[in-house]
This record gives sequence, structure tokens and C-alpha cells, in this order.
Amino acid sequence: MASQASQASQAFSADDDTVERGAYLARAGDCVACHSTEDGKSFAGGLAIESPFGTIYSTNITPDKEHGIGNYTEAEFAAALREGKRADGANLYPAMPYPSYARLTDDDVHALYTYFMEGVAPVADNAPETDLSFPFNQRWGITAWNWLFADADTFTPDTSADAKIERGRYLVEGLGHCGSCHTPRGLAQQEKGLDDGSDSYLSGADLNDWWAPSLRGGDGGDGRGIEGWSAPEIAEYLKTGRNVHATVGGEMTSVVAHSTSHLTDEDLTGIALYLKSLPANPAGEKATTSDQRREASEKTDAHLTAAKDLSEGERLYLDNCSACHLNDGKGAERVFPAIDGNSLVNADNPTGLIHTILAGATPPATPAIPAQLPMPGFGWRLSDDEVATLATFVRGAWGNDGDAVTADQVDKVRKTLKPSALNRAPDANGSLNHEDRDTQ
Amino acid sequence: MAKQQPRVDAVIVGLGWTGSIMGMELTEAGLNVLALERGADRTNEDFAYPKPADELEYGIRHTMMQKPKQAAVTIRRDLEERALPQRKLGAFLPGDGVGGAGAHWTGVLIRPTPTDLQLKSFADQAFGKGVLQDDMQIQDFGVTWDELEPHFTFFEKVCGQSGTTGNLNGEIQEGGDPFEGPRSEPYPLPALQDTQNTEMFDKAARQLGYHPFPNPSANVSEAWTNPYGMQLGPCNYCGFCSRYGCLNYSKASPQTCILNALKQRSNFAYRTNANVTRVELAQDGKTATGVTYIDEHGEEVFQPADMVILASYSLNNVRLMLNSGIGKPYDPVARTGTVGRNYAYQIGGGIHMYFDDIEFNPFATAGATGRMFNDFSPGNFDSAPYGFIGGAKMHSSQASGTPIKTPLPKSAPKWGQGYKDALQQRYGHHMKLSMTGSVMSYRSNMLDLDPTWKDPYGMPLLRMTFDWKQNEHRLSAFMRDRLREIADVLKPDYRDESFNLEGSHFKVTSYVSTHNVGGAVMGTDPSTSAINRYLQSWDVHNVFVPGGNAFPQNFQANPTDLIGALTYWSAKKIREEYLKNPGPLMSA
Amino acid sequence: MSSRIKNRQRRDFLRGSLTMIPAITLGSGVTLTAQAAEPAPNLSDYQPAFFSDEEWSFLLAACDRLIPGESEGKGPGALDTNVPVFIDRQMDSPYGHAERWYMQGPFVLDGSPDLGFQYPYTPRDVYQKGIAMTQAYCQQQYGKRFETLDNDTRDTVLKALEANDIDFASLGESQKLEASEFFASLLENTKEGYLADPIHGGNKNMAAWKMVGFPGARASYRDWVDQHNVDYPLGPVSLTGERG
Repeated sequence: MASQASQASQAFSADDDTVERGAYLARAGDCVACHSTEDGKSFAGGLAIESPFGTIYSTNITPDKEHGIGNYTEAEFAAALREGKRADGANLYPAMPYPSYARLTDDDVHALYTYFMEGVAPVADNAPETDLSFPFNQRWGITAWNWLFADADTFTPDTSADAKIERGRYLVEGLGHCGSCHTPRGLAQQEKGLDDGSDSYLSGADLNDWWAPSLRGGDGGDGRGIEGWSAPEIAEYLKTGRNVHATVGGEMTSVVAHSTSHLTDEDLTGIALYLKSLPANPAGEKATTSDQRREASEKTDAHLTAAKDLSEGERLYLDNCSACHLNDGKGAERVFPAIDGNSLVNADNPTGLIHTILAGATPPATPAIPAQLPMPGFGWRLSDDEVATLATFVRGAWGNDGDAVTADQVDKVRKTLKPSALNRAPDANGSLNHEDRDTQ
Repeated sequence: MAKQQPRVDAVIVGLGWTGSIMGMELTEAGLNVLALERGADRTNEDFAYPKPADELEYGIRHTMMQKPKQAAVTIRRDLEERALPQRKLGAFLPGDGVGGAGAHWTGVLIRPTPTDLQLKSFADQAFGKGVLQDDMQIQDFGVTWDELEPHFTFFEKVCGQSGTTGNLNGEIQEGGDPFEGPRSEPYPLPALQDTQNTEMFDKAARQLGYHPFPNPSANVSEAWTNPYGMQLGPCNYCGFCSRYGCLNYSKASPQTCILNALKQRSNFAYRTNANVTRVELAQDGKTATGVTYIDEHGEEVFQPADMVILASYSLNNVRLMLNSGIGKPYDPVARTGTVGRNYAYQIGGGIHMYFDDIEFNPFATAGATGRMFNDFSPGNFDSAPYGFIGGAKMHSSQASGTPIKTPLPKSAPKWGQGYKDALQQRYGHHMKLSMTGSVMSYRSNMLDLDPTWKDPYGMPLLRMTFDWKQNEHRLSAFMRDRLREIADVLKPDYRDESFNLEGSHFKVTSYVSTHNVGGAVMGTDPSTSAINRYLQSWDVHNVFVPGGNAFPQNFQANPTDLIGALTYWSAKKIREEYLKNPGPLMSA
Repeated sequence: MSSRIKNRQRRDFLRGSLTMIPAITLGSGVTLTAQAAEPAPNLSDYQPAFFSDEEWSFLLAACDRLIPGESEGKGPGALDTNVPVFIDRQMDSPYGHAERWYMQGPFVLDGSPDLGFQYPYTPRDVYQKGIAMTQAYCQQQYGKRFETLDNDTRDTVLKALEANDIDFASLGESQKLEASEFFASLLENTKEGYLADPIHGGNKNMAAWKMVGFPGARASYRDWVDQHNVDYPLGPVSLTGERG
């Protein structure tokens, strides 16, 4: 998709600075993620977005006059972006993060408009119509919702603050719409806080059962997660999808691939500094100290290495995981993520961990780090009981402190899996040579 | 009339190490590049744990290797014998599929010595007339250590080479190989850990005054991010390297080191199951117009290109040249022609030792664990009195502990209760002392087209004429005596040995080495080389032929490091000169 | 007070976006079940797919002599580990059909054996012909089928095959398949079945691996490689996750 977009921009107005800036901003907003399908053309829409109210299909935002937004004036475009108003006056479903995009400066809206009109190839395809059931098909209802939740203003920099941090804040609150996933939601599915005025803002949230960890990177918590990352490490993570602490997984994989890995080092530094300026979530009551965690880590490591009197969970770890994550649970810097202290492993909701064990995971290919070393899925190799035992072990081993996992929880996740090359059982007759049998 | 594809700037035949390197270099120069790979696509996903840990499938059934069905080689030992097709794999195991042999190699990444590159000059100076066989056809590579050094260094960074530096800018370093050529930079990563056999070999070799050092390895000792942003995991000594894809992504391969980066480039594309049968030439025969291949549906397709890179296995590169009429075929009687001339190989031998009371845990290892010494490479000892030239790397490696291949004493029963007892008694109690020796080039060791057998597309198979000569037999006997001295120090409970001594001939039935080299050798004289020192065909200037085929004879080190370095060397010349002014880079 | 702080106060309450993220990875109906490591069959219950009943009887009897069971020395035998099942399954693999081999004629059968296999036969052919001729030999020599001979006589026949002392040509072989060639395949495949991963049908319960001390497909020894001359304590694991 990346190359399609850049080729298109070359074709239309190769050296137009505004188009280029708009393309960059579209990256920062990750427009392509929702407005394209996996195999479809960039920005032609059609992606199914699951919401608690039903499936919403993203729209065609290419400049095609009939099927896309080719007839939009800049003012109409701005209203869609910031207020969720379609050119015909209808409300967009708030799957479009317009409450965040409301922050955009006029200048940036202009650049985005120019890019979508001149830098994107028109695609004459209709995206499927969103068809929600009553009452969610009543777009007028959104007017009320907007009145309640979505009257954010255009971003005004705080001139007394560090300009780099302010740039980061602009990107995080605005185009980056980080809060969409990382801020917990209220009863009406609204984010509990659209900016750092709220302690809930970016404090971590459950997203389709997958834990999107806290992005509040300042001091004051238990020292785990992003709180223990330096600003350059945060920037590296966004740029490459990995750093010495973690490798990106879940939905964030595509955010890194399509958006953050294309941002400039300055912008990434700004984002990182801003996140480091947010005080961490306060430590919970059962929080451990880093000394306690270190001691526990050494104990697990020594027991696994001695390989005597092993529990079933330990044995499963040695037989399935230790090849890459190693006995110390630390993995390999930037290549194999640490399990010890990993936020996904320790999350209250173990769905993300279970999913990763069952289905495997592949890090994104980013311009700086194109490497893709996939973690295999073990769904074909381990039963629900075994996965539960293994997950319970890793959540309690080393310095981790997650609760036990049950076979029922595993079963529930297993039912959602799609078959893929990563979770396929080996074929006893040459899994690499299917063509042998086919061509005979 | 064959189907025709849109023209590309450069077509690469084969997507292994050399094809991947050329892909990076030529796309970086802005060319539209297409790679055609005759095997299947293979990505890291195919090697995800635990799939490769299957000895039968990969170690025995050769699932990652070329299928003789597609293109066997016919083999004879001398010009009079009737060559017969190698119907199933044996002596050598070329790869196929994306990654080529680079996906299933062991991972020993070692440089030749400066002397190895100029062996003919060395021979002229160190050996009196009549000492060496008169049918020997050794020659210099036509490129020097200093010219190649930056390319070794870069390729080794691409691979995350792990080892101990022996000579840094002329300064000898403790623990490394004092005989290595001067390196401009230290090894990118520290050496692999030592296994039990390594420790024993090291001690015994030192006691005898040799200079052992850790095998230079492309199984990486620590996590590594290379200059392309590609990553390798730290080797976990899983014991599945040689013949296997790496389940821990710790072995340098096109997959782990290059391909994701290359595939990101919009001016690169590749097609699999695309079997190139010949290079098409313009009417005057001086340039190539593209290649013809058979696609996955069995249809013949013409792919026009301004430039053709033959980057398949060395043997197939030579076959493609012969089948396409590029250069003049070698005639061993008239001693004319160059394509097929100077095919060479590598020779092995070793002593198997069994120790009742030592646990070697042979499964806990990497392909390249172990140590070697270079005291017996050319120039480091005087072999003239023994009547041979060349040398051997002397080593103890424990590449794998997979049980089907368990070495058992020759005296052990082959079946019945005695076999079962031997298996229990000997598994995990064995270590080997090995020599890997150079093989010179000779008038009658050569490649040409077979007159009888054809591939499924009707193209003649390649015919190999090869045998061990007196020089190799003498070298083997000399090295055997040195290894025996080491075995005497180690005092095993039982030992036996196997060497190719006088009277022994090349056998295709069991594995020897996949270091098949030569046949389209590089040089500075078009009457004795098929390609010039930039790996460009002397006869068809827009055809380049990187690979082991370029070696005018073989040395004792493993070939991959030199193949990688030569490919970068060739690519640099293409980028800096050829693209600006296409034509012969050297005048004949 | 900066405008930013004012904004913050106004928004402390009741604001947010309904933004959902696209659900690409979750949410399809396919259930992938762990192949609850299908238990290895009992050899006596196994119905061979390739071999006829008569051939199967030969195979069982021959494998039992090549790697005998507990009655002769410690450790499991070929029959205890389902080696014949392995061989039967191999007959329908790319190997059994010689799918990867070069099988185009002409077939020259009088070259040096050092130039390797030249028969126009797949392993399936070699087994069928080899078994038939060995049975013919046993009938000729002893008036009995191989599997009804006593152990010592079976060993005598196997040794004769191994040494190429049985003349297949005189028993009707037209393509010069030699007894030693058939024996070599049989022995090689028997050892493979004994020591390969159980996914291929043999090495039942990983018994042969346990016997020699090979940990199977664990493939993870970074913490073990530097522990020299120490007994490795852990049992094996198979490709499908069977633990021993």
C-alpha cells in the first residue's frame, strides 16, 4: 500500500510540497488503515470495522467524483474531518476519529485536502454500505452524541511548554488519535478523556479484549511498562516496531507499519517526550518492587536451566517457548521480545497472550527494520488445557504477576482464529514441497 | 511463439545469496529488477519452530534441495567412462527455492587466505619444476585480497559473522587465526560457545603447537541487526543447521539477512517456479536480450532484459552458459574453450573417535560450533617435499546430533541386537577430527553437456567429469597423519578413520561436499577464463555470472564468504562503470 | 492560564470518541483444534495401505530381526516402535514414488556402482520385487515362507541378501536389481522409522529417542551448550508436542 500511495503522488504532482506534506499527515493519521482493505486499493474504503453496534464499513476517500470524495470542497472536507459531517450534511459514524481530528490546524487540513485531491489516485469502486440495525442506523442520533462528547477545539499550542513536547501532544491528541485505543471508554463508548486533563487519558484500555497498555510514561507508578522506557526507546519502538523491551503485537502492528514508522525522527521524539510527560498510573496495591521482581526472575531462570522436577507449565515452556524467549524470559534485544515484565503477558485480560500463543505473531516490516521474524502459533500443537497451563506459568514466572488462565478462556479465543501459515501443523510429507504432489 | 513479459532493466536467474545481493545492489542503483527462481517461495514462516526439527524430512529426504527430476547431473570419473545421471542426491546437495543453498547451509563463514587468491603465483615461486602434476591447471583469481577486503567486511556484517579476530590491520590478535589475512575490522560478533569436543580439540591442538580458533560462523552468537535493518536471533544451539532452515532465525540466509528488505523495494519483483532454460542472445551473439523460462503452468515465457545475472548454483550457471551458447565450450583434448573448464571440488576425511565416559550431548550444538586451525593452508607450511600443493583446514565440528545419522564404529554390527547395543553405547559419546582439503583444477576435471540425457523441457543435462588426483591423495595422506597425532593425544576408547587415499575414486553415493566450484572461472586472460575479474562474460558483456563457478580451483575454506564478497565486488563495478557505459569492462 | 488548561477543564467530563479500530485479526468462524496427538496405532490393528497381507507378514518378520525387541538386549525393537507402519506410510510419500528423482531413461545398468542408483524402480517397486524374490528364494531353499522360518534361519536369509549371495536374476529379475540393493533399502528405512520423529509413523512413544538420549524436537539448548560432560536430564518432545 505504501508504494501505491507514493507512486500515485508521483503521478499527479511529483514535486508539490503541499501534497507531500499532506501525504505525510495522512500517514500520521493512519487514514489508510481504515480506508483500505487488506488486498484493496489504497483509500478505496470497504474495510469492515467491528463496533459494539454492528459492522461499519469505511468509505472510499479517493478523489473519484462519483464513488469517492472528488466533489468535496475544502470546507466540506474540513467538516468531515473535524466534525464528522458528510458533504450532504449527514453525520459520519464516530468510528471516524473526528473528535481527535478536530485538533487539526487549518494548515494541516489544507495539506490533507490537497493530498487527497491531487496525490491520490481515484478509484471508481463503491465501498459496501454500512447497514446497522435500529437504533444505530439512525445517523441523527449521533448529533446528540456529538453534542455531548465531541466538541473539541482546534489545537492551540501551549507557548509556555517545550515546543517538542507540544508537537508531540498535537500528534498524539490529534492525527495520531492514540486515545481511541489506549484510553478507557465510558458507557456511551466515549473515551474517558480526550487529553491529559484526565488521569484516564491514555491510561490503558481493553480493546476487543486485547489490552492496549497505558501510554503514560512519566514517573509515579510501579516502574513497569512504558514507564520504564526512555524517550529514545519509545521513539525507536514507534519507528521500528521494536526496542530492547518489547516487540509490537496485535492491532498496533499495523499502526507501526502504516503510520508511525513513516514519521520523522523529530515527530517521534516529540511524541515520546510528550508521553514521558504524563504521570504514570499509580502503582496498585499488590505491586511488586523491581528488586522483588529481579529476585523472582533469577529463581525461575535457575529452575528452568537445572531442568529437574519441572511442573507441567515449566516443561511446556521449555518445549515450546524457550528456544527464542530463553530461560531468563528476556528473549533477545530487539529480536525476540521479553516475556518477563511484558505488558501483554501481565494484562488483567489474558486474551492477547492466549491469542499470541495460539496464532503466533509477525512483527511489521518497517523502513528502518524490514526484518520479519515470525512467532509460530501453537494452536495446532497444544490443547486448551496445555495453553492454559503454559499461560498461567508465564504469567506467574520471573517477575510477572498475572492471574491464572483457564481452558475455557483458551477455548473462547481458539474459536476466533483464522488458519494461517503460522499456525499450521507440519506436514509429514514435506510441508515445503507441496508442488511435489500437485504436479504429478 | 513464447509468451512475452514486459522488459526489465535486469533479470536475475536464481534467488539465493548471489541473486539477493545483486537484487539489493541493482535496485539501489535504480534499476527495475526481476528475479526468476525455479523452486518454491520460502519465507521465514516456513522455518518457524518446530517445522525444521524433522531429521527425516530435511536431513534424509532432502526436502529443501534441488530435485534431480528437474535437472540431474550426469557424472563420470574420466573422459573415457560413460557418464550416468545422478538419479537421487548423494555426494552434493544444491538447494532450490528462494534462498537456495543459503537457506539450508551449515553456516561456516570463513575467508580464504590472500595466498589462496593467487595460488598460481605462489606455486611458481614455491614449487620447483616437475614437483606438481603436469595436468594441473591452477591459476590466480585475478582479484587481490586488498581489492576484496571491504566486500568481505560488508558481507560479514550482513551475516552477523561470529568469531575471534586473528589479524586486525596486520596486528595479530590473541585467540584468533594468526594466519588469516589482515582484516580491516574485527568480527561483528563474538564466537559461538564451545561444545565438549571443541574444548578437547583445542587443548590437544595447542599441545601440538597449532593455532586453533573458533570456526568463523554465520550462526550468530548474539542477536544482530545488519546494515539492511534485517535481524537474526541469538543461536540457541538447536542442532538443526546443515540441510535445515533455521527455526530460530539465527543462521544468516537470504531470508534472515536480505529478502524482507529487498521485497520492500518497489523496483524489485520476483517469480517462483520460473525455470530459466536459456539466455537469449542478439543476432551478433555479443549481447543478451533476456531469458526464456518455463513458468508454473509449463508455458514457455520470454523475459526481455537489458542485463542478465546468472545467480543460480555454480553447476547450473555453467549449464545455462553452455545451453545458451555464451562463450566457447571447453575441449579437454585440444585444451581450447573456457566454459566448463576447471571444475573443482573439496575433499574431506576424518577420524571418528569414541569415548565411553564422556557425554558430548551432540544435539546441543550449532552447525558451525567447533574450532579449526589453519597451520596447514598454503604458504603456512612446506608441502613441496610431500609432492602436493594446497592445504586443509583441520577441525573438530559437531554439526548435529540427529539420531538417524548417528556415527557408529565400522566394527559395529549393522543390524540385529548388536546394532541396538552399539546405538545405545555410542550415541553421544563420539567426536570427530576432520580435514577439509583444497582440490586443484586439472585438464580433465570439467563440465560439458551430456549427449544422452535431457531435463523435462528437453534441454541437455550437465555432464561432470571429475575424480580425485594424485595431489588430493597425497594431501589426504599428509593430513591424516597430522590428525592421527591429535587423536593420539586425546586417547579415545575406539577410533576409525576414512580418507580418500591413493587408489580411491570419487563416489556419488554418499555425501562429500556441496562446495562444487569452477566451470566458468574468473580471470584476466580470456583464453583461460570464461568471465573476467568482474564476473562479466568475456563474450556477452551484459551477462554476469557470480557464484562458486568463478573459482579457478578450490581452497580449503568454505566458499560462501568469498562468493558473497565477489558478488559485491562485481556489483560495485556494475554500478560505478558498467551502467554508465555498458560494454566489456576489460579488453580481451 | 493558558487556553490549553481551560480546554482541559471544559473537557474533564463526558467527552470522547467512539472510534473503533478495525478488527482484522479477530473474528472469523474457523476453529483450529490442537491435533490431540493422535495416539499411535497398535501394530496388530494396523491395516497397511501399500503392502499386501503377504508382503506385510514378511516386513514384520524382517524388521523384527533387523532391530529385535526387548527379548534380545535392552531397548525397544522395530516392532515395538511401529517401524513397519513407518515404511508403509513412506511408500505413499514423495520418497516411495521417487517423485524427486530423475527417472528418465535410458537406464544403464552396467556402470560402476560408485555412480549410484540406476534402476528404473521406485522404492515401491524395489519392495514389491525384493519381497517376492526373497519369498521365492525361501520357498526354493526351505520350502517355507520367510515369516515361518525360525529366527536363526531368518537371519541367515537376511545375511545372504546383505552379502548379495541370493541371485535375484535367477529368480526372474530382469533389470538387474540386486539382493543387496533391496536389503540396503529395507535396513535403511527400518533405521529411519526407528529413529525419526513419530509424526512419520514409527518411533512409537519416542521409545528409540529415550533409549539413546536424544531430546527430539526441543531444539533449544542455549543454556545447555556450555554444560560439558553432564547428563542431559530432560526427556524428548516430538514435533506434535508429545512429551516423553
